[in-house]
Amino acid sequence: MSTSNCVPNPHLSVKSQIREFILESLARPKGISSFADGAPLMEMGVIDSLGVFRLVSFLEEHLGVRVDDQEINLDTLRSVDTIEALVIRKRGK
Amino acid sequence: MAYVLQQLLQKSAARYPEKLAVWARGRSITYRELEERSNQLAHLLQQRGVRKGERVGIYFPKCVESVIAMLGVVKAGGVYVPLDPQAPTERVGYIIGNCGICALITRADKRRALDKATLSSLSFSILIDEAPQSSNGADVIPWGMLAEYPASHAPRVTLTETDLAYILYTSGSTGRPKGVMLTHQNALTFVEWCAAEFQITSEDRLSNHAPLHFDLSVFDVYNTLEAGAALYMITEDLALFPSRLAEAIAAHGITVWYSVPSALILLLLHADLNAERLKRLRMILFAGEVFPMKYLRQLAERMPGVDLYNLYGPTETNVCTYYKVERDRLAGMDKLPIGIACENTEVFAVNDQNEIVTEAGGTGELYVRGPAVTYGYWADAEKTRKMVVPNTNQRNFQEKVYRTGDLVQLGQDANYYFLGRRDSMIKSRGYRIELGEIENALLSHPSVKEAVAVAIPDDIVGSRIRAVVAFHDGVSLAPAELQHYCGTQIPKYMIPEAIDFRPELPKTSTGKIDRVQLAQDSAHLTLK
Repeated sequence: MSTSNCVPNPHLSVKSQIREFILESLARPKGISSFADGAPLMEMGVIDSLGVFRLVSFLEEHLGVRVDDQEINLDTLRSVDTIEALVIRKRGK
Repeated sequence: MAYVLQQLLQKSAARYPEKLAVWARGRSITYRELEERSNQLAHLLQQRGVRKGERVGIYFPKCVESVIAMLGVVKAGGVYVPLDPQAPTERVGYIIGNCGICALITRADKRRALDKATLSSLSFSILIDEAPQSSNGADVIPWGMLAEYPASHAPRVTLTETDLAYILYTSGSTGRPKGVMLTHQNALTFVEWCAAEFQITSEDRLSNHAPLHFDLSVFDVYNTLEAGAALYMITEDLALFPSRLAEAIAAHGITVWYSVPSALILLLLHADLNAERLKRLRMILFAGEVFPMKYLRQLAERMPGVDLYNLYGPTETNVCTYYKVERDRLAGMDKLPIGIACENTEVFAVNDQNEIVTEAGGTGELYVRGPAVTYGYWADAEKTRKMVVPNTNQRNFQEKVYRTGDLVQLGQDANYYFLGRRDSMIKSRGYRIELGEIENALLSHPSVKEAVAVAIPDDIVGSRIRAVVAFHDGVSLAPAELQHYCGTQIPKYMIPEAIDFRPELPKTSTGKIDRVQLAQDSAHLTLK
């Protein structure tokens, strides 16, 4: 069983889908099996330079939000909470 | 000419006291401040009992204090050991013990995460982030205490160029990381070659992308100091985001960039990298792994006026060969050479008949000779004996050379070309990874009977890692559990991204695990 890109259940909440994607596709392959909603994912090493793009692709392809270059930074992608906030903000527009 | 690293700083601080020396995370220090703080730190360390040759760990995410710490330790006559702030604490604890580190310069949260046994083995820790009032006095010292010590000069210490300056830990094939001992002379041989070849001046602005436990950073830090240039430390808030990184390179007017190829490839693919935007960039150096030609050609095209250099060399020698990209040859090349020996270094290839390769086309293992070569591994006489060997061609006195374990070919153009490894060491994002270290981590789990780590070639990072595992009868684990376990033993970049399970691992006719078969199976699975 490989842990490459997982596709979370679309019926789950936005936050749950974000959490599940990060957990299965990014965290577990780095040996991390849990993290809080507010945990700093990059500082923890869960998201690395390649992970940033996999995450952005996930947000675009599965959550339907277009993320500008300017919005890809340590503040917006810091934690599950901030990523959820980004998605909600983009969808609201 | 400098014979110890701190003289590089001393000279530039005298010439350019008010010039910016180091920038990181929005803060900066001048040469005067760097010189004074490191003097103070050196006095503090000596007063607290750090004797010549003693090891001091540097253990926090990089910031301006990192450079103060490095210089402060060498000024005290000590040996600094940069510890990866992202490594599992168990591994950090192992290194602290293995190296006999007596003191740490660290951050409160990093220190708290270390286990009791490790903490009690340390004489003291200096915390870069704690306020004076909150220290307990004895074994925890706040950075603010530096102010109590003399700033105008370093303490007296008798050092020569053959004294150790730092120890860099790299992946070990027997399962544990090993410390490469590096003297002032080792470092300065490299720094002096760089200064002459790259003509770094006080007008230059160097980036520091590599972590401080990675020897690319030796160029970044010490060639900056040598020239009185400015160092811009690239921290994770920038390194992870190619667009922001490109912006920062432009905004800071970076003139010289040095990194592993994968960092450049990400910039190429995800940031608008072009000469117009990065007009001050005059030179790009890369090392650590093979740069795929298709990406190199793109880079060359986007940055026409920039000098591109491929630098090669293990931690044991720092850079020992170099190749300046000849743009007119790029279209026709399918492989970039590692080039020719740096000044004050000699390299030669030894073939299977134990002869030195002299003819074009000849292949052999690359050996390195000269003052850049390490004296060996900390507390590991056996490994040292294996890799740092007598030079049988030197009849006048005893001399050692380093066997790199890299297979090379001498080209028609007199450049060396890298062919591959003798053993199971791989590169991923420029990081040196012994597959054996990963296998040992897996095997250390009580449920695991057999384990093999396999490298899958990857365009961007060099290699990706999968593992194949067989459990003892009656037990099993989910891949995620085993990955989690690995995370407590080895750094994240070594953890297999996928684990396949078999009841038994396939064997060859001689009863050894059939790694070739497993490598093929794994490559096939990755393609799915």
